[in-house]
Parts: sequence; C-alpha cells; structure tokens
Amino acid sequence: MCGIAALFAYGSDAPPVDANEIEAITERMRPRGPDAGGTWISPDHRVALGARRLAIIDLTDEGTQPMTDVDGELHIVFNGEIYNHHELRARLKRLGARFHSTSDTEVLLQLYRRDGPGMVDLLRGMFSFAIWEPRQRRMFVARDPYGIKPLYIADDGNTFRAASTVKALLAGGRIARAHDPAGVAGFWLMGSVPEPYTIFRDIRSVEAGTSFFIDERGIHDQRHYYSIATTLGQGVRDEPAARLVDSHVLVRELVTDSLRHHLISDVPVGAFLSAGIDSCALVALATEAFFQPPRTVTLRFEEFQGHNADEAPLAARFAQRIGSEHVTRLVARDEFLADLPRLFDAMDQPTIDGTNTWFVSKAAAELGLKVAISGLGGDELFGSYPSFRALPRIVAAARIPFVASAVSRLARNPKARAVARYGRSWAGAYLLKRGLFVPEDLPALMGAEAAQEGLRHLSMIEHIAEAINPDPGTAFGRVATLEASLYMRNQLLRDTDWASMAHSLEVRTPLVDATLLRQIAPLLLVEKERCKRHFANSPRNPLPDWLSERPKTGFSVPLAEWMDLAPDGTSTRMRSWARIVLERWS
Amino acid sequence: MRILHLGTDSFGGYGGIALFNREFISALVAHPACEEVVVLPRLIPRQPETLPDKATFVTGAAEGKFAYVRAIREAVRRGPFDLVVCGHVNLLPLARLTGQSPLLITHGIDAWKRLRDPVSNYLVHKIRGVISVSDLTLERFIAWSHFTGPAFVLPNAVRVRNYGVRTRRQDLISRWSLQGKRVLLTLGRIVGTERYKGFDEVLDTLPALLRTRPEVVYVIAGSGSDIPRLKQRAIGLGVADSVRFTGFVAEDEKPDLYNLADVYVMPSRGEGFGFVFLEAMACGVPVIASRLDGGREALRLGALGPLVDPTNPAEIRVAIEDALAVTAPRTIPEGLEFFSYENFERRTHAIIDALA
Repeated sequence: MCGIAALFAYGSDAPPVDANEIEAITERMRPRGPDAGGTWISPDHRVALGARRLAIIDLTDEGTQPMTDVDGELHIVFNGEIYNHHELRARLKRLGARFHSTSDTEVLLQLYRRDGPGMVDLLRGMFSFAIWEPRQRRMFVARDPYGIKPLYIADDGNTFRAASTVKALLAGGRIARAHDPAGVAGFWLMGSVPEPYTIFRDIRSVEAGTSFFIDERGIHDQRHYYSIATTLGQGVRDEPAARLVDSHVLVRELVTDSLRHHLISDVPVGAFLSAGIDSCALVALATEAFFQPPRTVTLRFEEFQGHNADEAPLAARFAQRIGSEHVTRLVARDEFLADLPRLFDAMDQPTIDGTNTWFVSKAAAELGLKVAISGLGGDELFGSYPSFRALPRIVAAARIPFVASAVSRLARNPKARAVARYGRSWAGAYLLKRGLFVPEDLPALMGAEAAQEGLRHLSMIEHIAEAINPDPGTAFGRVATLEASLYMRNQLLRDTDWASMAHSLEVRTPLVDATLLRQIAPLLLVEKERCKRHFANSPRNPLPDWLSERPKTGFSVPLAEWMDLAPDGTSTRMRSWARIVLERWS
Repeated sequence: MRILHLGTDSFGGYGGIALFNREFISALVAHPACEEVVVLPRLIPRQPETLPDKATFVTGAAEGKFAYVRAIREAVRRGPFDLVVCGHVNLLPLARLTGQSPLLITHGIDAWKRLRDPVSNYLVHKIRGVISVSDLTLERFIAWSHFTGPAFVLPNAVRVRNYGVRTRRQDLISRWSLQGKRVLLTLGRIVGTERYKGFDEVLDTLPALLRTRPEVVYVIAGSGSDIPRLKQRAIGLGVADSVRFTGFVAEDEKPDLYNLADVYVMPSRGEGFGFVFLEAMACGVPVIASRLDGGREALRLGALGPLVDPTNPAEIRVAIEDALAVTAPRTIPEGLEFFSYENFERRTHAIIDALA
C-alpha cells in the first residue's frame, strides 16, 4: 500500500517535468507510505515517477519504488497488493523471468513484459499502477476491478498527471482548483462524488476495472477489462455449478480462498470486528484457516450505550469465543472534535461517511498494526441491504400509473414525492433509495445556474443506468451491481482508503474481490438473500444465534450528537452533516 | 481376512470409478492378511479383465436389483466378513443388508452434498470409515455428513506402462483432420447434467487463442447428449472449424487419443479427482486443471502442471499459450510416480491396517 504519482510531458509543446512538482505531490502522500519514498525522473525529463511506501510485502529496500525491472528497461509505481503474486511469480520463473526482489511490484513488471496490457486479467488484488516503457515511449496505467485503490489523473493535452489522491495532485501546484459543478451536484445527490468526476473540474478518476496507454497521442486504447454487471450476468449461465455443493460449504471454500490470498503479508494482519455477520464470519474463517485468530478491534461510543447500535459488548463476547486478542476502543466527543481538522485534511474529496473508518483505523494503528481486514462489501455481495428488497418493489409499484402518481401527490417525504418521476426505472429507483437529496433540491443548495450545469453534465440517471449495462439479467444482479458499482465504490471504498491511509493502515477487503465474485456469482443468483445466512453458517463452528439473528445495524458513529446536527428530515441527519462537510473538507 | 466389496462396476466396467474399484480390489487381495475378496458388481457392461488371485467375482449380482440383493444375502450366508466395502454412496442401503458397518468409498460429486435419499443420509453415520479419492471430496463429504470416524484419502493410481509417449497414429490424425494442427484435448461424458467439465470454458477461449495460434484445434472427446449444444456454441463463437467431436472413445484407443494432444485442458468444477489427468500425463501430455475442484490434487496442487480459475477465460488462455510455447519433447513428469499403483497399494494396506 502506497501513494503513487506520475507525470508525463507527452505533448511536443509540453515543458519538461518539474522535479519540484513530483516531490510536492509525493510528499503530500507521506502518511500513505511512511516507510520510504522516492522519485525517478527520466534522462530526457519527460517522465517523472514518485512513490511513498508502506512496506508490507518484501520489507527490504529491494521493494522500494519507483522500481526498475532487472533489465533496467521498465519503470513502475504501484499502489496496492497483488494477492496472487506467488502464483504469478512461479509461472514467470518457469517461463524464464528473473527477479531481484520478492515484492509483488516486481511481479507486475515481469508480467507486463510477458503479457502486455492483458496482464490485468491475471491479477487478483487491489491496485493502481503506472508502467513507463522508454523504448515505446508510452505509459501503461491500470486500476483494479472494483476500484479499491484510487488513481486520479489530470490531462491538459500536453502533460499527463496522476496520483493516488486528489489533494496530492493539487499539491503539485499546476492544476486549477475550480470546482466541477457535476462533482458538486453528485455529492449533494449521493453524499459522495461519483467517479469519474471529482470535485475539481480538471481532475478525473481513472475508472475502476480499466486500463489505458498514454503516449504522444495522449490517452488511448482505454479498455474496460472487468464489469460487475457482466460477471453477475454470466453467473446465470453457470448456475449448475452452484448446485454441486451445499451452499454454506461452497461459501466457506470460496471466501476462505479469498481470505488466504488477502492475508498474504510480511507483517501481522489484524481485523476490524463489529457485531455483524460479515466481520465475525470473516474472523472465524480466518481463525480456521490459520489456526489462530487475528488481533481484533472494535469501537465503542458512550452515546450508543444500551442501544442496539452499541456493537462493542457482542463483538467482545465473540472475540472471547474465538480467543482473539481483542481491543475495544472508546471514542468520545472531545476526541472527535479534536481530530476533526485532521480528518477534514485527510478527507480527499467531500463525503458524508468515513468517520467510522477514521477511528477504527486509528485504533488499529495504535496497536502497531499496518494491515487489517474488514468485512466491507458483505452486504453488497450477499444482498443484505434493504435495497435488495426495496428496489424491485419501488420499480414494480411505480410502473402502476395511479400508484406512483398518488404517492407523489400525497406523500410529505421529498423522496416519496419523486416516485412518479424517478421510480419507474432501476436507476431512478436507486437514486431515490440511496440519494441524499433529489435533483429538485439542488438549486437551493448550490445555486440555480450551477445546479443546472452540474445536473446536465452529470446526467445522474444515465450515469446510474450505465452501471447496469449490460443488464445483469436478474433483480438481485441489478441491485448487487448498483450497490457495488456506486455506493460501495464511490463511498465505502474511497472513504476506507483515505481514512485508513491517514493512519498508515492498509485495509484489505476479502469480500470485495473480483475473483470471488466470478466464482460465487452462480450461487448468489440461486440463493439470493439467503446467502447471508449461508455466510453466517460457513465457519465449521457457525456463528451463534445471538450474532446471526441480531437486527442489522450500520457501522455508524454518533455524529448527530457530537455535532449537534440540526434536524433535516433524515434519521441520521446526514443532510446537515453534508453541509458542514462541503464547507470544511478542503 | 475376508472382505466383501459392493460396487457399481469394476472388472468389465467403464470409466474412472470402475478403474478405481479394480485397482482397489487388486490392492486388497495383495494384502498379506487377505484370504478372499468377494466382489459383487451392480453392472458388467463389457467382458471383464483377468481377475486377480483371491478375488471371487459374482457375475450373477449384476443381473438386476433383486439379483444384487440375493447375491448380498448369499454372500452374508457364506460369511463372515472382516470388512465390508461400499464402493458408492448410492449402495449404502444395500450395504446395510450385510448387517455390518461398511467402509464407504466416495468418488466425487455424488458425495459433495446431502443425499436425496434420507435413508442414506442416516446411514452415513453408521459407516466404519470413509475413503475419498481427494482431500476436496473428503472435506465436502464431512462438511454435510458431520462424520467423525476414520477418514482416509486414497488418490487414484495410474499404471504408466499401459500408456507411454507414443508416435501419433496417422489414422487418427486423418480421421479428425489434425494434420499440422496443435491439439487441445478434453475427454469426458458430455451430458447436460454434467455441464461443469469445462468444455464451454475452453470453447470460450478459442476466439482469442486462434488470433495468435490459428493452427490450434480443440478436440472434444466422448459421447453424450450435450454435443449438439456445444456444436451450436462453437458455431456461435465462430470457431466451429477448429473444433472436433470424436464421439465415443474405446478404452483401448484412449492412450493413442491422448498422444494426439499437445495439451490436455479441463478447467472443470465438478471433478472429484480427475483420473484423465493422470492418463494424459502418463502419455507425456502437458495438463491444465482447475483450482476449484479435485483436478488440482491430480496435479499435486500445481507441481505437475498449471492450475487455472475456470471462471477466468484469460487465465485459461494464457495457460494454454504457455503450454503450446514449450518446444521440448514430451516426457512423463517425474512427480507422476506419486500416483503409481505401488504407492496406491501401499496406501490401501495402510488404511486396512489402520481399520484393523
């Protein structure tokens, strides 16, 4: 896990790359990689690479970046982890490749040399990287299938810039800070900025599951090499494979395989533990696979004491049951208020979430951990969000003309009033279900002109609809795709990245894994929401009823109490929080 | 020691289970303490091979279900037996007629999940022990049955001398128009209910593979009702000219079939072990197996050949390309010795001794 940066003055009119700029960008990402850092500038000063390193695999200096391959031809900066790097290395060695380190970074170099851009199809992991090929005078850039690791780019037509964070790119001093109305509108609508937009006009996110080249012609040969929608659609064809084995056994095998890959590390790996099925089942399976439990961390808030939202007692009880070394970390209002300036500084783009991950990462880092696994993604994978039931109902109801219009006329809730307008399509229903505000609210929030421009560029309904193109073919597949491609990618994963990296902690998500999704898709489509139950039963010693039967709660923090948030029509008062975030994040 | 073996088929049978039973019976009679193995087959579809000494083959048992029951009763009357072997989970209710707790043998998908027959689900708790052809099959069996008694893994055996690296037969090359071609091979039953052999997955890689390797031909060997669908799929993918369907392949023709192949590839999801991999390797053919089923154990977790994720077409294609790029003459991998009959017999005797 690192922070990476790349500059490429590809246009004939572009000035040479500036050493100070790459230094400044890289330095802004120091918390992401406190163990080492460096920059590399090509002899002709047309390319610069920078990296900060959090050493997790191959702790020696041989793993330092920017890295050059053993033949001195290719140069790389890489952020993330390649979980199947041992298998890839074995294959490459069989084929004659030579290595000077045991790092996964070098595996990427040799894999690119062997398989070219098709290499991304062979990777299991979370990653973003840039490889510079001096002979071809081109750069190859790729990002992982789910978009776990971020990568932002700015391309002015002459110079290409890339970095792991938006704020690092800005720190280079060459990119305008003008806001993008589309990004701002996206934030108000969803609570996070939907990629590929960012809050800044001149910065874009590299889309998840894509790769491209950049050379003197600019960006070209962009390829979408992975699609969640396609994968879930394909699962329908492979349904017979799901029926060969008992469901909970198949879930155990596939999730354990993902865990085995995700626990590859040269430093100890801990785990975030709540009282939810996802983190508990993951920790139980990890304990079975490695014969000892990981160290576990749970947050506790006095404001939640005695309420169902207080997960600390049950998490501690489960930790005791499996024998993990467990820490319950109390977070109080004073600490939150003291941390708030640092939290907003670390927050890479405005978002209404991430505070929870900030504190649990802080707690894990206090224990000396550099890596922790998280149950993030379990709800999207196993269909346990209320949206899996609600969206099909909204779509079905809204397509009955008198129902939709009656609801829209009679309802007091602004979202309910918008059912007739948006509820007939899956994309519209998703906007209603997940949205923070509806488009009609935006003129009051960001000004009529900016709202109009932002909504026009963003085309939110079309943007959402694009996530389920091609059609996954089933209601479950559609909702799973929407949740994973939008909410999880733009909010949960992005927030986890900045909030954990601020504490120099790498968070790994075994349930957010493209290989796992491909393998388990047939079962998901056969068993649907029952998969969560199968997951709870997947450990050899299944989760106890007092965990698996517990009503679902989100991983929340008492923001409303801490910030005295004004009532805003939502139970969590996230609309009020959003206003504060947009004022203070930068 | 007298042993009663109840099996679906063995001597005079087709396929991997029959072969396993033949080898297992041969290993049993070779045990120093063995006096006799009485073999009751449910089926004898062809002329039986030469029986080993001390094996009594009751051909009348194969004349129908009632005949099989009569044969069990007759065998029990002539008993007693020190050990009853039940060669298939479907025979558990019949094995109960012996009045003894049998040693159950599990081969693959038949034992991967709870059985349809509630009586059999009950009877798995009454067995004396279980043998599985792979760790995977054993784990999956234990996962649903919760069996806690003696459990053993006994992988299939291959007698290399029956195979070997041979000159490619010209008549077969002509029969399937393979002149100048690089041959990918998969052999198996081709039926709709077993649509997890990996035929579709290999077909899916062909369009990309043929762009760099136009000389490649995919030979789908075996018979079954799903062939018309696969032909349509090949047409739909635009690769029909590069696919051959052999139809049924006789046992004695298999070694020559394997020897036609440059790569044996079967990215399956339903193999309990995958004896075909051993056969292919015994002919010096490079093999590619799945990491999601028992095939991975036939390749000794990748030591004898690459394992691929059957859900990832790129991985399958790259593994095929890597195998085709090897120019060295075909050889039988040294590690195949692990699956020699001698090792199989030694493992079988260790299991019998442990149960005793």
